[in-house]
Amino acid sequence: MSTTRPAFRLNNSEFWTGALGLALGAFVIHSGLKLKLGTVNDPGSGFMMFYVGLLMCAFAVSIVLASVTEGGPTFASRWEDARWSKPVLIIVCLTAYAFALEPLGFLIATIPLMLLLLRIVDPVRWTLALPLAVLAPFIVWWVLKHGLAIMLPVGVFEIG
Amino acid sequence: MDVIANVFHGFGVALEPVNLVYCFIGVFIGTLVGVLPGIGPISAMSLLLPVTLSGTPESGIIMMAGIYYGSMYGGSTTSILVNIPGEAASVVTCIDGHQMAKRGRAGPALGISALGSFIAGTFALVALMLVAPSLAEVAIAFGPAEYASLMVLGLVVLTFLTQGSMAKALLMACIGIVLGLVGLDSITAQPRLTFGRIELIDGIGLVPVVMGLFGLAEVLLNTEQAIKRDIINAKITQLMPNRDDWKRSAGPIGRGTVLGFFLGILPGGGAVVASFASYALEKRLSKQPEQFGHGAIEGVAGPEAANNAAAGGAFIPLMTLGIPPNVVMALLLGAFVIHGLQPGPLLISQNPGLFWGIVASMYIGNAMLLVLNLPMIGIWVKLLKLPYNVLFPMIVLFTIIGVYCSSNNVFDVYVMVAFGIIGYFMRKFGYEPAPLVLAFVLGPLLENNLRKSLILSQGDLTTFVERPISAACLVFALVLLVAPLLPALRRKREMVALDEGA
Repeated sequence: MSTTRPAFRLNNSEFWTGALGLALGAFVIHSGLKLKLGTVNDPGSGFMMFYVGLLMCAFAVSIVLASVTEGGPTFASRWEDARWSKPVLIIVCLTAYAFALEPLGFLIATIPLMLLLLRIVDPVRWTLALPLAVLAPFIVWWVLKHGLAIMLPVGVFEIG
Repeated sequence: MDVIANVFHGFGVALEPVNLVYCFIGVFIGTLVGVLPGIGPISAMSLLLPVTLSGTPESGIIMMAGIYYGSMYGGSTTSILVNIPGEAASVVTCIDGHQMAKRGRAGPALGISALGSFIAGTFALVALMLVAPSLAEVAIAFGPAEYASLMVLGLVVLTFLTQGSMAKALLMACIGIVLGLVGLDSITAQPRLTFGRIELIDGIGLVPVVMGLFGLAEVLLNTEQAIKRDIINAKITQLMPNRDDWKRSAGPIGRGTVLGFFLGILPGGGAVVASFASYALEKRLSKQPEQFGHGAIEGVAGPEAANNAAAGGAFIPLMTLGIPPNVVMALLLGAFVIHGLQPGPLLISQNPGLFWGIVASMYIGNAMLLVLNLPMIGIWVKLLKLPYNVLFPMIVLFTIIGVYCSSNNVFDVYVMVAFGIIGYFMRKFGYEPAPLVLAFVLGPLLENNLRKSLILSQGDLTTFVERPISAACLVFALVLLVAPLLPALRRKREMVALDEGA
């Protein structure tokens, strides 16, 4: 039985995630050195970080080496048979929401977010989506404000 | 006699009306999140962590504990009726539980699951009462070297048991440690990795990290799959198992209970490991192993008992050593810290009301769960029909609210969204979040104990091997690190490796 080494392909996802781990490890080592290592009998702020960074690099290198010697799934195969556009849409909505929450306030930012989430993945009918998108954030806001005295962001319009 | 007096004292605390209410809320929410696929005990506990601030420490922790063991009960309902595990520890129950339901035996499957869980949960509590105080007395002698080595062992065991590549799990644990070190150094007060952001001075919050990695990432993963539900629509009758069912289940429940309890105590172990181990054990011991996978009641009784016993056992390392053995216990540690309490060897002697109150509340909670899960099964079945496209926006809303309320800070919402996205990609590329979260919690404690032990020993590294407990922990950790290099052990690891975060 002959064992042939698989040809290395540049779209090997294992290779690139390992490389990312290696870069992160190098950054942690650099941060540890900047914070000062101290001595073994008086470890400094960067002591632990430096050695954890070294371990990160070691583990990342082993992932990279395994990806070269054993091969690995491609980026495309990770999303095979998956409706990849759905999580992407949610990520876009949530990122926009994170930026809008403070300037617009909780109610103005959350109602459109809920409506989008209810309609874009597996669309809920409008007659259910609309009341749910308005009532859910409103009830949460009311309970937090009047029941638990927690103030949610009011935004520039000072609504809420 | 001391134990009996303490139990009475504990019941005095647990039976206070406010604690009864919190206990009921905990087990109710636990059952709810156990039943609903896509939201697990970790998400629910992190969501409710801020709520514990409003009451006494007893009330808050009683509720959090209730969510954990409640979810173990609820998870089996979804596994049996829908063939989708409500939470990770119920994955095994799907195999034979759903087959039983398809053959018109959903009632006995649900019945043996709830009753087996009750028996195992009760045994685990008795064992917790007997073991915890003695272990706490021993743990008083632990120094920083022992603690540091125990934490290393906990992290290594979890990475060993995590699904997929061990190098990836170890890399995740290292990233978790680094994230845990963000903020002011507890010894020198020097800011670390704060990038000039004032919000990071106190470190990254546990709630946004957990909610992002487990709550939001789970939603993103679920939405990319069209979830098909094969719900058993027939009316569920005769929940009580018959004489033959009991005869076949008694052994698996007994073995599952003992096995689950001990696996729960181990750092890095927990309910998921216990349920898989019990299933494998029962299949091996069975005279008719071919029946497994086709509706064998032993395949439901054993794992369900094991996961509940493990949930009880997992409290021991947290309560006696202050070391959380898994992510759920790490969240419970967070609840203790929020109230200014430090679990560890002195907790039982300094706060007997708290410890014994929590233990007693678990007895009461187990009884409540039996009522919630057997006569009220129809309500949970109806809830299962709630479509995911309506459910997930609500989960997103509650994660946002939960994170914001934990700190009253929009920055934490950014952190949660960021970790949600990171968590999604991590799972897609086969990097499990559980080692990261446990290391995130243990990282600062590990650093503190490591530095203290080095200062105390004047830089003598042999301090870690000269102390027997510390040496034993490190040797065990080393064995587990080397094990995957040996083909036979690698195969064994692949058999028990789990997706703890599911």
